[in-house]
Amino acid sequence: MIQTILDALSYGGLYGLAALGIGLVFGVMRLVNFAHGELIAIGAYLFIITIDLGLPISIMIAVTGTAILALLMELSVFKRLRLAGPSVLLIASFGVSIFLQRLYEIIFGALPISGQIAPWMSGVIEFGDTTITRGSVLTIILALVLLAGMRFLIENTTLGLQIRAASSDFQTARLLGVRSNYVIGAAFVFSGVLAAAVAFVLVTQRGSVDPLFGINITILALVGTVIGGLGSLQGAALGGFAVGMTISLLNSFLGNYRVYTYTWLFILVIIVLLIRPSGLISNKAFKERA
Amino acid sequence: MANELLKSSQLPGVTRFHWQQLLGPILVVIVLTYLTSGVSASFSYLTEGTLALLVMVLGLQVFIGNSGVLSFGQAAFAMVGGFASGLLTVPIKIKENVLDGLWEPLKAVNMGIWPSLVIAVLVGALFAFITGLLLMRLSGLAAGIATFALLMVADNVFFNWKLIGPGPQVMPQVPKFAFVDESLVLAVIVIVIVYLIGISRRGRLLRATREDALAARALGASVWHLRVLFFTVSGGIAALSGAMYAHHAGAVTARDFYLGFTFTTLAMLIIGGATSLWGAVVGTVLVTAIGQVLLVLEGGVNFGSVEFTLPNGARGLVIAAALVIILIWRPKGITGGKEFALPFLKLKSTGRQ
Repeated sequence: MIQTILDALSYGGLYGLAALGIGLVFGVMRLVNFAHGELIAIGAYLFIITIDLGLPISIMIAVTGTAILALLMELSVFKRLRLAGPSVLLIASFGVSIFLQRLYEIIFGALPISGQIAPWMSGVIEFGDTTITRGSVLTIILALVLLAGMRFLIENTTLGLQIRAASSDFQTARLLGVRSNYVIGAAFVFSGVLAAAVAFVLVTQRGSVDPLFGINITILALVGTVIGGLGSLQGAALGGFAVGMTISLLNSFLGNYRVYTYTWLFILVIIVLLIRPSGLISNKAFKERA
Repeated sequence: MANELLKSSQLPGVTRFHWQQLLGPILVVIVLTYLTSGVSASFSYLTEGTLALLVMVLGLQVFIGNSGVLSFGQAAFAMVGGFASGLLTVPIKIKENVLDGLWEPLKAVNMGIWPSLVIAVLVGALFAFITGLLLMRLSGLAAGIATFALLMVADNVFFNWKLIGPGPQVMPQVPKFAFVDESLVLAVIVIVIVYLIGISRRGRLLRATREDALAARALGASVWHLRVLFFTVSGGIAALSGAMYAHHAGAVTARDFYLGFTFTTLAMLIIGGATSLWGAVVGTVLVTAIGQVLLVLEGGVNFGSVEFTLPNGARGLVIAAALVIILIWRPKGITGGKEFALPFLKLKSTGRQ
C-alpha cells in the first residue's frame, strides 16, 4: 500500500517535471512541443555516453547538451514560425520530433544502448516489515527539489517575472518592454534542463536508451499540460502530476486488465477536455475564441 | 489570432464546379498509376499501397482542409476500417486457427472484398459520427489533443482486445486485391466525392467557419453540425483507406495505423497543401516519390566506381525536414492550397471567387 502511494507520487513527480518543461514553452509561445521527448532522449544518450567520466561531469554535459539542443530547436525552427497558430506549431514540432528520432537512429543506431548511470538509485529500503524501492523515494525528492527550484526562479527573479508576464499576456508584456526572443529562448533552455532531469530518472530506471526513448512520457506529459491548464505553469505541473498519478493508480487497481490503462486514461482526458476545454486551471488569455 | 490550422484569408477555396479541377487530379492519378505499376511487380505493389494512402490523405483533407481543425484521430477510423474489412474476409478456417479469442459471431462471417469494403466504410463513418458528436464541441488545440487521445484509445483497444481482432499479433491471410485497378477505381470515386462535397453548400459554409466562425454563424451555419458531418465523411473515407491497406498488404495489425501512419499522412497533406484536393494528391505523390528515391539510396547505389549509401533513417529524416521547411517557407503547401488548373486555361470566374 505504501509502495503503491510512493510509486504514484514518484510517477506524478516525474510526469510533473516533464509537463512543466512543456508548459514553460507553451506559456510563452503557445507551442505544444512534441519534440520535448527528443530532448529527454538526447539527455539520456549523453548520460550513458559520458557516464565513464564520473557522474558530476556526466550531469553537467547532459544538462548543457540538452539545453543547447532546446535552444537550437527554437532558433532554427520555432523562431521562424512566430506568426503561426498553435495547430501549425504543433505539427511543426511533430516534424522536429520525427526528424530528431531519425537523426538519433543515424548517429547512435536503432538498437538500445545500455549503461548504468546511478546504481545507488535501485534497491530497496526496509522499515520493519515494509519495504519500499529507493528509486521512487529519490525520484520524489528530485522532483520536489526541481519544482521548488523552478518555483523560486519563476516567482523571485526578474527573468521569472518576465516569463510569467509573457505567459499571461504575451502582447502586453512585449509592449511593456519584455524582450520576447530572450524570454522564449530562456523558456526553451529551462525546458531543456527539466528534460535532462527527467532523462536522468528514466535512464536510471530503464538502464538503456533508444531513439524512441522519450515518446511515451512526452505524450502523457503533453496531455497533462493541456488538461492541467493552458498557459498556467502550476496547471502544467499539476496536470502532469495528475496524469502520472492516474497511470500509476490505474496500473495498480486494474490488475490483469492493466493493458487497458491507456484506454481509461485517455477517455478521462477526453472527458476533462469536454468539460473544461481550456484546462483545469485556466488562464483567461488562452481561452479559445469560438 | 489564428487559432485554427491554416487559415487562408485569400483562399476561400473552390465555390463552383470546374471540370478541370476535378478531371485534372483524376487524370494525373490514373496516368501515374498505370505508368508506375507497369514498371515491375514491386512498383505495382507500391502503387497500390500509395493509392490507399492517397485515400487516407483525401479523407484528412475533407475534414482538416475544409474545417481548419486539426485532427490526429482519423487513423483510428482507418484502424476500424482495416480491422472490419479484414475480419469479414479472412477465411473461417484461419480465424479458428489463428484468431482464437475472436467473438463467435465474427468467426462465422465470411464475405467477398467488395461487400466488406462497404461495411467497413459504414462502420468507420458510424464511429466517426458518434465520437464526432462529442469531439466536435471542441476547437483549436483542445480538438487536436482530444483527437489525439482518440487515436491512443483506439490503438490501445485494438492492440489488446482479442474479441475483435488479433490483439498484438498480425491478422493474416486477408484476401488481396487482384489488380491495381480496384484501388484506382476506389481512389477516383473518393476524389469525386471529396470534390463534390467540398463545393457543396455545406462545404462552402464549413470553409466560411474556418475563416471566420462568428461571421459564418451569422449566416446561419452551425459550426458543430457541419463539423460533425464532415468528420463523419472523413471517418468513412479513412476507414476505406484502412480496408484498402488491409487488402493491399494481405495482413493488418493495429500498429499499421499508429503514430508513423498519422505522421506520414498529415505530412503528405500539409506538404501538398491542406486546403485543396489537388494539394492532397500532389503531397501524396511527392512524399511517396521522395521516400522511394531515398529507400533506393539507403540500399546503396553505384555511381561508376563510387558506392553511395544513405544510412537507415534518412528517409524519415528528409520527409520530416521537408514538412518543417514547408511550414516555414510555404505554409499553404506546394500547391499553395489551390486546386488544379492548367496554366494556359485561366478560369473565367477567378475574379469572383
